[in-house]
Amino acid sequence: MTTVALSPPRRAWLIVFRQELRDLWLGGRALGLLFAFSLLLSAITYLTATNSLLNFLEQRESVNLTLQVAVAVGALLVLLTAADALSGERERGTLESLLLAPVQRVDLVAGKGLAALSVWAAAFVVSIPYVWFVARGVGIVGAALVGGFVVGGLLALFLAGLGLLISSLSGSNRVSLSVSVFVLLALFAPTQLPAGAQQGWAGDLFIRIDPFSSSLHYLGKVVVDGHSAGQDASWLLSPFIAASASILLALGASRFVTLRGGGS
Amino acid sequence: MSASGIEAHGLAKAYGKVRALEALDLAVPPGVVLGFLGPNGAGKTTAIRMLTTVLKPDAGTFTVAGIPHTKPLQIRQRVGVLPESAGYPERQSGEEFLRYHARLFGHTRESARETARSLLAETGLAERAGSAIGGYSRGMRQRLGIARALVNEPAVVFLDEPTLGLDPAGQRQMLELVRRIAETRGATAVISTHLLGEVEEVCGRVVILNRGRIVADGTVAEIVSRAAAPRRVRISVPLESTPQAIEALNERGIEAAPNTRPGEVEVTLSADGTERAIREALRVVLDAEVPVLGLELEGGRLSDAFLSVTEPA
Repeated sequence: MTTVALSPPRRAWLIVFRQELRDLWLGGRALGLLFAFSLLLSAITYLTATNSLLNFLEQRESVNLTLQVAVAVGALLVLLTAADALSGERERGTLESLLLAPVQRVDLVAGKGLAALSVWAAAFVVSIPYVWFVARGVGIVGAALVGGFVVGGLLALFLAGLGLLISSLSGSNRVSLSVSVFVLLALFAPTQLPAGAQQGWAGDLFIRIDPFSSSLHYLGKVVVDGHSAGQDASWLLSPFIAASASILLALGASRFVTLRGGGS
Repeated sequence: MSASGIEAHGLAKAYGKVRALEALDLAVPPGVVLGFLGPNGAGKTTAIRMLTTVLKPDAGTFTVAGIPHTKPLQIRQRVGVLPESAGYPERQSGEEFLRYHARLFGHTRESARETARSLLAETGLAERAGSAIGGYSRGMRQRLGIARALVNEPAVVFLDEPTLGLDPAGQRQMLELVRRIAETRGATAVISTHLLGEVEEVCGRVVILNRGRIVADGTVAEIVSRAAAPRRVRISVPLESTPQAIEALNERGIEAAPNTRPGEVEVTLSADGTERAIREALRVVLDAEVPVLGLELEGGRLSDAFLSVTEPA
């Protein structure tokens, strides 16, 4: 064996990221999620396309619906991956070996977070042909894809941070996944409010505060109403703040990445 | 203390109201193979986790390989650890697992590959290097864990229960591996195990923990003599001569009783363990014209000392 003077790696997050990518994609977990995602998107696209043909749904509405599902479910996949990242290692007994490496815990969190985001990138790539299919002919393919990429990216960042934060603090994988999904459902709830509740300054504020409602509202403005990307950019403020805050919190909470969870 | 040993002062840790470790003071010179013993819950794993910076102590200070506890990254760079009940990524191959950890310790891509292959050969896993860890036996996983502990050429190696869950042959192989590593690499090694017989063979020094405190510290011989474990002497005599031997011993005031074992009969003496008492018992048996077939000293082992210092008061 070669004896070399070792010093801690400079970009440990990159080493962790590469290994996580291999585990996620070559291990098959992310491929399984992506397969389920493409099945769902196929079904949604079929339904919206047929509804559009029968004039039950305006074509721009079909594009918006398909895009919203792609963005929301793609972000959900990121949440599921991130929520498993640390609590999963803890539960499988592999976390201690990682904690024994001479790397900062923030590097572990960053590497795992970036790998989780790769699921969103892949989901977006998968959704491109579906969006193209329902949007062809009305000249909004480009705007829809750019809008979907920006909105989905912000939501994916937000949920990656949220998942990592919960995963850092959870003692078990089950708790981490349950809490993450519960929080996600709570964030989705405002999108299901009746139209009446979304009227007035209070309704407007409520939608603007919730990153999901705000993001999907923005997509609707771009895709359905044909607004330019910058015209309604204020609707992206909430998802932008949520994404920044959750990433900072997740990195800050990396000190709680301990064997027991929650710090000891 | 030299720069490559372990030194701890007043190390303490509690989990809620349970005090896992109380004021641990420890000084291990470099190159020593230390047996870290104690019943379940004695605080061995907690102590190892603190010394390897995975757990933060509630109180106390320590240095490992000459590095103070305030520099955990540097300590981790110099120690190798086989954690208790370590888990392994089932889908990674043994070589991939070692390469990854070698990279985390600062190896380049090439040296990580070379190190992984070399360690797999050293631990007898070369033939299964490319197989998924999910297909490894318990013993192979333990050997892989030891290989992982060596990826950084550590100055101090901590092996927490390296023989846990292994069959006797596996335990023997594992301890042989540990012995070889200690000899060839010259690293300080701390081995936590319940296999006291093997500790006697492998470890130059032993620390026994009980309820979070050190109750014995020294060489095996020192601990055994200090613990003053009760001894018994078994004298094997022919079956037909047993009553005669017992009668002769009892007449001289030496307590003796038959001790059945298939194929032979033994006389068990309660003695104080001194050579004089043993000689006296032998002389009495021989004077009674009873042939002595064998003599065995019971007690005087680490296991007796262990039980004596860890038994509840």
